[in-house]
Amino acid sequence: MRDDRFNVPGALTLLAFLAAWEAAVRFGVVTFAYLPAPSAIALAFVAIVRSGELFAATVHTLRSIVIGWVLAGLIGGLLGLVFGLSAFARRYALASLEVLRPLPAIAFLPVALLLFNFSLTTELVVMIYASIWPMFVNTMGGIANVAARLHDVSLTLKLTPLQTLVKVLLPAAAPAILVGLRLCLGTTLVMAIIAEMIGNPHGLGYAVVNALMAIQPEQMFAYVLFIGVLAIGLNFCLILAARRLLPVYGREAMSHV
Amino acid sequence: MARIAAEQKFEVSPAALAPANGGNIYECEAVSLELFPHGQRRLIIDRLSLNVRAGEFLTIVGSSGTGKSTLLRLLGGLMPASSGSIRFRGSAVTGAPSGVVVVFQDYSNALLQWRSVARNVALGIEGKLDRAEIDRRVRQSLQLVGLEKNASDHPWQLSGGMQQRVQIARALALKPQVMLMDEPFGALDAMTKASLQDEVLQVHERTGTSFVFITHDIDEAVYLGDRAVVLAGPPGHIHKTVEIALPRPRDQMRTRQSPAFLDYRAEIHAAVLNAGGH
Amino acid sequence: MSRGAPWLTALRFGFPPLRGLAPLFALLALWQLIDPQGSPYFPPPSAWWNGLAGLARSGRLFAALGATLTTFTLAIALACVIGGLLGLLIGRSRAARRALGPLLEFCRGLPPPVIVPVGVLVLGYVESLKLVIVVLVAVWPILLNTASATAALSELLGEVSQTMRLGRLATLAKIVVPSAVPAFLVGVRGAVPLAIIITLLVEMLTSLPGIGSLIVISQRQFHSAEVYGLLVVVGLVGFVLNGAFVVIEGALLSRWPPRASFAQGG
Repeated sequence: MRDDRFNVPGALTLLAFLAAWEAAVRFGVVTFAYLPAPSAIALAFVAIVRSGELFAATVHTLRSIVIGWVLAGLIGGLLGLVFGLSAFARRYALASLEVLRPLPAIAFLPVALLLFNFSLTTELVVMIYASIWPMFVNTMGGIANVAARLHDVSLTLKLTPLQTLVKVLLPAAAPAILVGLRLCLGTTLVMAIIAEMIGNPHGLGYAVVNALMAIQPEQMFAYVLFIGVLAIGLNFCLILAARRLLPVYGREAMSHV
Repeated sequence: MARIAAEQKFEVSPAALAPANGGNIYECEAVSLELFPHGQRRLIIDRLSLNVRAGEFLTIVGSSGTGKSTLLRLLGGLMPASSGSIRFRGSAVTGAPSGVVVVFQDYSNALLQWRSVARNVALGIEGKLDRAEIDRRVRQSLQLVGLEKNASDHPWQLSGGMQQRVQIARALALKPQVMLMDEPFGALDAMTKASLQDEVLQVHERTGTSFVFITHDIDEAVYLGDRAVVLAGPPGHIHKTVEIALPRPRDQMRTRQSPAFLDYRAEIHAAVLNAGGH
Repeated sequence: MSRGAPWLTALRFGFPPLRGLAPLFALLALWQLIDPQGSPYFPPPSAWWNGLAGLARSGRLFAALGATLTTFTLAIALACVIGGLLGLLIGRSRAARRALGPLLEFCRGLPPPVIVPVGVLVLGYVESLKLVIVVLVAVWPILLNTASATAALSELLGEVSQTMRLGRLATLAKIVVPSAVPAFLVGVRGAVPLAIIITLLVEMLTSLPGIGSLIVISQRQFHSAEVYGLLVVVGLVGFVLNGAFVVIEGALLSRWPPRASFAQGG
């Protein structure tokens, strides 16, 4: 049963939650030392918008995300294409990659810090390393799957390898590739924040940790909530873009979470 | 095709032999059902009256949209009627009546894929009988449908026809007085369908259970039934009832080629067309 | 699909065939040969081994491993219980799903690392800080997947439980819960790497005992060989934990129809 009506219970619950939070802090019911009230968070949010800090931090993080996402998408996609097409590569090299894949990229941060110090390079290197994997896995899976199924089709139609790739394989693997891109974006965002918390003192991640160290709870919460909204916004934009550019595949790929 | 050894006997539910209410096991009087999808009123079934005689094999035939599945669900107590009365063995139907089981078309999703065949068959009786009786009934039901060798398999390892037989066995384990079947063979190929039709007829003969069998296949309705009800709609209502006096036991070759069979088939086909179906 | 050996099949997908490891070993061997002395930034594998041995001898390596693994295991166990139960409750109640919808969506979209500073600030530097934060993060994929599967329970199965005249408790135990198990496990599969990352993150940010803080300490002291060595340790831990999960999942799901979950490899 699809509910197209505005989600009244949901909105009410949200408001009730915020009201309860506000009341709990105001009346000292909840005794965490550094839990700010929603009203204080809102004020702090206005302050960081006015001062331009939020804008500067957001620009930095978004820039990193876009660069990281594009590069990770390209590298992961190419790797996925190669491994998807070549059974030889899969037999003699896949295990090496499979061993590296579960390695939490966060463990590379100290290495990157040793090599590149606190810099954008550190942030990008770790982000891209982590984000390659979802793109790689999904592209490889998509292409391998499709290549097996449509092999006979391309033989019958007497297509050259390039034509097969462009006209048959890539479009058929598009849903899987789109899923990979979407996961890649999610990973890029998460790793950007982690890297900014530890490896590169700029951007939204750093702003949060900075507020933590300076014991400014209202500001910290303001940044945290903004990051949540940003994440949802980015995902939403990706879904919209996919639907516009690739109407058929986009809908299928983005319908699953 | 005779999977049941002649000497095997399946205990007959005594109630099935002793008809109640002057021989009717179901009495439906002016039953209507209306639904309100998106706030609009839709009449699905319109003042339908129908009796099911104890021990008979009743087939209900009609094209899509005539409310056949809905009628079955009303009989099975899966949804309440909006007006009119449905009485099973004299008592009003509120919720699934004891002694009635529904067999669904989508066998794959109606079975519990994570349970073995034996445990699937036991689903309706576990916790209600003692261990020994449960084992006995499961074995008997599986023997009735010829799956005794597959007791420890899982449904997803079996073919479509076998899975549907598991569902039938599951229903039989309850020793029901009435089996309600919702186009159970609709998703199967012709040969499996024929084989299962004969199995269902054998169960009917051995156990005396009443059957209400929904189908859109006119041949199937005539082959299986003592009586065929042609439904028309929407809204669903009875267009015609045909008594089928073909001899039993029925046979896929001889019965289907007999002139009487062809006459009944033509009669029902005409009725369906007349009712506005195809 | 081989019925008789679900363990073996799962093992095969959890741990890749060894012959594909050749390129990796070749790379390491090359590294070792090119630079046996060791530059401060790219110490060769032999130096990693020495660094690790030093840490092991002083007992710091195993203490840190113990702390990290304990937190991880406890957190996953707690997240499974809490996420599974809450997921079932929320999935069963359409009212709950509508009311909690926006809140759940927001929490789902919130990048997990952000929760770490929030936890540190609100809870303070207490013993249980690490565990609470990791549970808070790991519970989401489990809760959301379980709730979604429970909510999507087919109407048909509901009718089956009606016609089989199962009571509410029996329906819950025999139909609702088992049918949610595969989705629950998918959620756990997502929670495992997440828990590893967040455990390390908390350790790195707060210097609470664990591999994460050990790596940061070595990095700040410019003991690059130790850093690389610990990187390998983390990699091994991640590899073993993920593989172990796939094996457990395979064994648990041996009764279910074979799915793509094996082939996907998480």
